[in-house]
This record gives sequence, structure tokens and C-alpha cells, in this order.
Amino acid sequence: MKRLTWFVLFLAVAVSAVWVAAPAMSQSKVVKIGDLGSKVGVFEGYGKYQTMMMQMAVDELNAKGGVLGHKIEMISEDDDTKPAPAVRKAEKLILQDDVKLIVGAVSSGSTMAVMDVTRKHKTIHWNSVSCAEFMRTTKFHKYYFSNQPDSRMQANGLAKYMVDKMGRKVYIFYTDYAMGQSDGRQFKTALEKLGGEVVGVAGAPMDTKDFSPWFGAINQSGADVLFLAFAGADSLRLMTQLHSFGMTKKYRLAGIDCFLLQQDLQAIAEPMEGFVQLAHYSAYNPDKNMQAFNAKFKKRYNVDGNIMAGAYDAVLFWAAAAEKAKSFDADKVAAAQEGMCLDNTHIGRQCIRKEDHQVVMDMHLYQVKGGKNLPIATLKGKDTIGEPMVGKDPVEGFTWELKKKL
Amino acid sequence: MDYLVTVLLPQLLHGLVFGAALGLLALGLTVIFGLLGVMNFAHGELFMMGAYAGVAVIGLTGSFWIALLAAPLIVGVIAAFTEAATLRPLYRREPLYGLILTFGLALVFREGIRQIFGGDMRRILPPFTGSTPLLGMTYPDYRLFLLAASSVILLAIWLFFTKTRAGIVVRAAVQDAEMLDGLGVDVRRVFTLTFAGSAALAALAGMLLAPVFTVYPYMGVEMILLAFIVVILGGMGSMGGSVVAAFAIGITQSLFSLWMNPQRVAIAIFGIMLIVLIVRPRGFFGREGVLE
Repeated sequence: MKRLTWFVLFLAVAVSAVWVAAPAMSQSKVVKIGDLGSKVGVFEGYGKYQTMMMQMAVDELNAKGGVLGHKIEMISEDDDTKPAPAVRKAEKLILQDDVKLIVGAVSSGSTMAVMDVTRKHKTIHWNSVSCAEFMRTTKFHKYYFSNQPDSRMQANGLAKYMVDKMGRKVYIFYTDYAMGQSDGRQFKTALEKLGGEVVGVAGAPMDTKDFSPWFGAINQSGADVLFLAFAGADSLRLMTQLHSFGMTKKYRLAGIDCFLLQQDLQAIAEPMEGFVQLAHYSAYNPDKNMQAFNAKFKKRYNVDGNIMAGAYDAVLFWAAAAEKAKSFDADKVAAAQEGMCLDNTHIGRQCIRKEDHQVVMDMHLYQVKGGKNLPIATLKGKDTIGEPMVGKDPVEGFTWELKKKL
Repeated sequence: MDYLVTVLLPQLLHGLVFGAALGLLALGLTVIFGLLGVMNFAHGELFMMGAYAGVAVIGLTGSFWIALLAAPLIVGVIAAFTEAATLRPLYRREPLYGLILTFGLALVFREGIRQIFGGDMRRILPPFTGSTPLLGMTYPDYRLFLLAASSVILLAIWLFFTKTRAGIVVRAAVQDAEMLDGLGVDVRRVFTLTFAGSAALAALAGMLLAPVFTVYPYMGVEMILLAFIVVILGGMGSMGGSVVAAFAIGITQSLFSLWMNPQRVAIAIFGIMLIVLIVRPRGFFGREGVLE
């Protein structure tokens, strides 16, 4: 009887101990990651798809047991597409939520501002959509990684096609902040190097409502090709207005990687007809890996995937690096990510270049036909990525001055 | 010839279209100044509320045309209540009181709209989306409609002020409200109706420009600066001056865009205003002593 009393007492203590400790044990098995970007406003489409892509990666990883035995929890924050809120939200994610990874932001201006925060607080930072070249050159730091083709990669890929196949006289029209300025610099340099003539350049502020004041200058420039470096709602408005002024038929049109999301094309199929866009994703690309990824995404969200698939890959890269490093420590994860290759990204195998933490990725030129982004050429990642130029300006001595050809 | 058709003519049309819409906005502003002696800082928000009223009415009815009629009425009624409740007690005070009040009203209207509709950008689709070949160029139908509609409305307002008894009463109130009161006219009613009418005009401009500019809580802030310049250049309180100045600014802005980035044109416009104010402080058509 005495033995039974002791046994019951022991059992009660053991059960109580487990009951008391259980929440603490489960809490210690969670690792948080941050999703930062525009959830409303001019770039909201990119921010919302970033969340969807990351959530899909998180769910897949959690279904396999998480990372280092930790369940991944994602926290999303809206930066209002402005650098100041982006910095505040990044600090909140790092200092309050203790995230081990930040993916974002969407606008290049915000991403560059967030880079200062991730450098200061030693946090792994992935960029999956911002295009400005400065991130992997003058702003680069050891915790920053990118799988978005930046302005230099895009110029290396698209400028030659423009000069060879579309026309030699190009007017560059860009959104006047970090991304557009960077695109303008890189494309002007590349086009002039390839024998093209830049007959005009102009920047319009982000979120411009009426572009018609710029159309007169474009029309008097004598351009064959109109190169457009805009994104999101700006692109939608610009294309609608260009079309209503008859300019989509007058010029051959080309644009950057993030010009429009796949989903927006149907709505402005007519203005976009014939538009040549460099991009690293299309639901109409026959690549079997991209098709498999698109089918998976569509099954889950009932909509095609888009260029934001990079956010999915970013989470996978970080998780694989943490497993490899056997730690969430930023220095160890950063070291593990350098030079890392992964086979299960949305386009199969991709590798991170050690020197500037840029993912070497194949891109494609697409032409819009009937609201569909159809591939017309493939550009090898090794041919477009360019030399690593950490700490240097790739277009040093650049000037916006037009070099008129006689 | 090619340059004229493909470059100058479209820019001139842009200027006329924008000038006509700006004229609608500035006309209400100058009438309120002439009548109340107050620069209405909330006028841009009345413009913005017109666009949002349009968004709401289109949401209910699906019709742009019903919204075009209803939006000015809705904003006019709100303005009438606002005038009676807030501006009326300040008429006999220093103009500074009215200035501060309308500044406060602007904040209340803007934040109120943000609370109701949120901060997201809204779109009002134009009732027709085609383009018309015109003298060898292509011009959007809606912008041509905007030019025609604004011009007709401006003409109607001129006829109202010059040919109707009600218009003459308003002009008399602008000239000498006390004398009008002595003649037995209900001046308070004239003030309220004129304020409401000016607000309705701003709302109409907001609704007409919404398909071009899209709708967002700060859309009035961007327009009101130009409207103030128009009123100052045209001559404070001069209705004809405002219309002339609106077209002048619209065309100048548009043509200057050919030679400089449109972002810098705004600076040039401010420069022109400064020069005019130095050379002729009362503006193009202002009465001597108004600004003093």
C-alpha cells in the first residue's frame, strides 16, 4: 500500500512537471522569420505574392519537421512602400519578434534602407524583387543575399536584344527613385556600348497619376524603341495612357523584369501586345521545373505563380543553410549560404555566387501575345550576372547626358 | 508641320484639358474668397470628396453619369452644413480665423475620408475608353469630353453670374454684403448657397478628373497648390481672371514639359507667379487694393 502511494505521488509529480514544462518546450521549438514589403499601394501585388510564396515554403518545411527541429513561424509587416516605415518594421521584426531571416522589402528604396538595419543587427536578409544595382555593389554586406536579377543583369540580358531586334534609337522612361534610376544608368550604359543611341531619358515620380505631360518629349525624340522601367500600378497606368494616345502602336516597347505581374497582363492585354519583357518567371515557360512549381502554386492558391517565386526560394536557401550550419546564428548561416547550391528551387538547381551573394539564374525574354507572356529567348545566368563589384560603382563616371549621333 | 502635329498640338490639347479642369476648381476658390474674404484651405478636400462621392455612387448604381450628377450634390449639401455650423460664426472676425478654420476642416475631411474608404488608391473608369484620330494624332475620347464638359460648365457659370438675377445677387454680395442686407436680401442664405455651389463645383472637377488621376485621400493637396496659384495670378476674387489664369497655367505647364522634366515645371510655375506678383501684385485682373 505504501509503495502504491509513492508510485501515485511520483506519477502526479511527473505529469505536473510535464504539464508545466510543455508550453515552454514547445515555445523553444519555434523559429520566426519576417516577411517585409508593400501590402497596400502602388506595389501591393508584389508584397502580397511575396507573402503567399513564403507561406508556401514555410508550410512545406514545417510538414517535413521544420528547421533544426524548430517549427517556422512567419510574421508579415507592411512597409507602406516607404523607406522610413520599412526601417521601423525591420527593427520591430528583429528586436521585438526575434526573427532570424527577413525577406524584403519590395521597393528598392526600402530594401536599401532595410539593409542598414540587417547589417547593424546581424540578420540574414534576402531580397527577391528589388532591382537596384547598389545592393550587391556599394551597399553590400555579408548578411545580404539576392535572387532578384538586378539592373546590371537585366541590362546585360535585354539591351542587346533591343539594339539587334527592336531598333537602335531608344528613349528611356523610368520611375524616378532607386530602382528606375539604377535601370536608367545600366541600360543607357549598355545600349551605348552596344552601338545603340539613347535619344532621350526622363524620370517620372513613383505613383504618378497622369503621364501625359511626358509624352510630348517622347514623341519629339525620334525614338524607335520606348524602354520602360516602371513597376506595379505605375506600369498599369502608364500602359493604359500610352495606348490611349496611340503610342503603343507607334513605338516598339520593352521593359524590366518586375514591370507587371503575370496576373495584371490579362487586364491590359491590348496595350501590352508585342511588349518585350525580360523576366525570370512565366506560367507559359515550358521549363519542367517552372511548370511543376506553377502547378503546385496554382493548386494551393488557384492562381498562376509569378516572379515573386524568388521569395519561396529564399526561405528554402535559408533553411538549408541553417541545417548545414546546425545553427540559426547569422554569421554561420551567412557562411553556409555562400556558394550554396539548391536543387529544389522553382526553376530547379540554383547557386549563390560567393563574392556578392547573388543567385546565378537563367532568365528569359518574353513577348506578350494575347495577354500571355510567351518566351522568345533564354539568357544564361553566367552571361548576364557580370563581374562581382562589391564596394564599386559598376558604371563609374556615368552621365545622363545624351550622346547624339550624327 | 510634323513637329506641330505630333508634338506641339497634343501638348497644347493637354494644356487646354488640364486648364479647363483647373479652372473649375479655381473658380469656386475665387468666389469663396471674393464672398467671404477667406482663402478656403479645405477646397482641395472638397475636390477630393467629389471623387470619393463618385466612387460610392458608382459602387451603388454602377453608373458614371449618375455619379457625375450626384457627387456635386452630395458634397454641396455637406458644404452647406459645414458653412452654417462652422464658418458663419466667424464672418465678422479677422480673416485669419477663417484661414485656420478651413485648414482644420481640410484635415478633418481628409482623415474622415481615409477612415471611411481607407488609404488605398481607387479607380473610376472613364465611361468611354476609345481614342479619336485628330489632325494626324490620336487623342483619348475621355480627355476630349473633359475639355468639352469643362468648357461648357465654365460658360454656364459665366452666364449665371452675368445674365441671371441670382448670379447678380451673388456678385452684389461679393461687392457689398451690408448694402445687400439693407436692401432686404437674405445674405446668410446667399453665403450658404454660394459656398455650397463652389464646393459642388470643386466636387464636379474631382469627379471629372478622377478617371485621369485616380482617387486617393491626398489628391486634393496636389491640386490645391495650383488652384491657389491660379487665383493669385488671375487676381484675388476675379472670376474671369481665374479662368484665364487656369488656361494659361495649363498650357504653360504642358508646353514647358517639352523642354524640361515635368517635375521641374512646377518650380517654373512658382517662378512665374513670383515675377507676376513683383511686377503686378494684384494679378492679371485683380482689383487694386484687394491683396493689401
